[in-house]
Amino acid sequence: MTEHIDPSIIVAHGVDKVYPNGCHALKEVSLEVNRGEVVVVIGPSGSGKSTFLRTLNQLETISAGEIRIDGVSLTDRKTDINKVREEVGMVFQAFNLFPHKTALENVMLAPMKVRKQSRKEAEEKGRELLYKVGLADRMHSYPSQLSGGQQQRVAIARALAMMPKIMLFDEPTSALDPEMVGEVLDVMKSLANDGMTMVVVTHEMGFAREVADRVVFMEAGELVTQDTPEAFFDGTQNTRLQRFLGQVL
Amino acid sequence: MDKQYNRLFWNGVFIVILLLLGSGIYLSSKSIDYTWRWERIPQYLINTDPTEIRAPFDGTVVVENGGKRVLVDPDMGGEPFVVERFDVLSVGDGDMVFEGDAVAGIEDWRLGPIAWGLIMTLKLSVVALVFAVVIGLFAGLARISSNPALKNLAITYVELIRGTPLLVQIFIFYFFIGTVLELDRFTAGVAALSVFTGAYIAEIVRSGIQSIAPGQMEAARSLGMNYVQAMVYVILPQAFKRTLPPMAGQFINLIKDSSLVSVIAITDLTKAGREVVSSTFAPFEVWFTVALLYLVLTGALSWLVQKLERRLAASD
Repeated sequence: MTEHIDPSIIVAHGVDKVYPNGCHALKEVSLEVNRGEVVVVIGPSGSGKSTFLRTLNQLETISAGEIRIDGVSLTDRKTDINKVREEVGMVFQAFNLFPHKTALENVMLAPMKVRKQSRKEAEEKGRELLYKVGLADRMHSYPSQLSGGQQQRVAIARALAMMPKIMLFDEPTSALDPEMVGEVLDVMKSLANDGMTMVVVTHEMGFAREVADRVVFMEAGELVTQDTPEAFFDGTQNTRLQRFLGQVL
Repeated sequence: MDKQYNRLFWNGVFIVILLLLGSGIYLSSKSIDYTWRWERIPQYLINTDPTEIRAPFDGTVVVENGGKRVLVDPDMGGEPFVVERFDVLSVGDGDMVFEGDAVAGIEDWRLGPIAWGLIMTLKLSVVALVFAVVIGLFAGLARISSNPALKNLAITYVELIRGTPLLVQIFIFYFFIGTVLELDRFTAGVAALSVFTGAYIAEIVRSGIQSIAPGQMEAARSLGMNYVQAMVYVILPQAFKRTLPPMAGQFINLIKDSSLVSVIAITDLTKAGREVVSSTFAPFEVWFTVALLYLVLTGALSWLVQKLERRLAASD
């Protein structure tokens, strides 16, 4: 592997995705994300933003184009996708915690089985992460005993336990009751402040404005425009974006 | 919504109906002039007759040590046959005995044919169950595989087994496969039972895995686990818990189905029952006893599974 430091940790070029039923979900989407950058993807439902996010760790395969994560091409058949996924954490809209394991066990599982850490090592790191997301007192609770916001914070800790280089967030607050959205966004903000590279699909415009380094607007499978939050929300010239913002703000 | 029933009254009704049914059976057995001989049954479960020690050759008995030691001096000359441990003496000093005559007896108890049949049924069921679970797990996983060869193999297996009677399968296993591969009865019986039950377990495993939300697999894979790790650590434990009730039903069926292997002359509980009927002429008592013993086996299994379910419910 060549050791030149490329500032872009994610490079997606001309990504196209057509489902077998003919639905054209992504049309020539290109995006580069730098190390430590927080990119927020917004757009109406069905615009392909979640699909695009899921192609970045190959939960969705792509029909054409290329994606490189930290210099490794995902379309290369020789790439071990599991190795790439170790470096790319993902947080889901539906949390997807493992219901048969406690919060701590959820966080410990992948480091032990994938990174082959000892139980002691994984537990120490797990406790530290759960403390960091404010769940020190719920370590031994099962997911069913936690609120939505608590579950999502465990899910973030679980992804962080693998010490990924990139974190992907797929509408992390959409399934939450309004009063729980704040606690999850706070965790995400502190993560951004720690310098984590993040790609966030969300409807939280406040979060985009406050935390994002760059905001991306997608519609009908296309990446329509991208800009800094200031330029994006105040005085954009793009009519499609203006129409969308007019609906949500 | 739930109607409030008077518990005491309706439980009383339940008991009265049971009593009526019981006395109905009793009265109808009266009408057919059947003599119940329950006292004949216990010896077929546990045999308390003394074990007889028999003379190995013709000879003369010598009782020594005031009846503590018995010798049989052979008529043909040579070493005497010595018996030192016994509880009852069947001969006296100076008696002539012939080869095979009882000299003394030891008081002990042995398992009777029905008990041995019960042990055989238990052995058959446990061994077949282990293999059935292994076969069912792999067939179930193959069934949901995206590899067409694996998938079609699993479908063919399940359809073939579910579409033919177990009895016929046992004959095929014993007479055809057993002859080709030179299997003994027990192996052929276990093979037939586990292949049969495996097909049903495969379907249970398949539906159990498919009932787990796809997000679980995605979450596991997104953490870098490979397919096998995700299955073993995330999907299967959840599917196991969810499929426990239908699995328990299948295991109970296996115990009951094991009675069919008596047709290839394995002396299981059912075959033992048939043999005891022919020597006691007490068919009613024997079959009720056999049924009760099956019920004990299946009941114990249900109880174990319920305990396991309660333990696994901790995360609900």
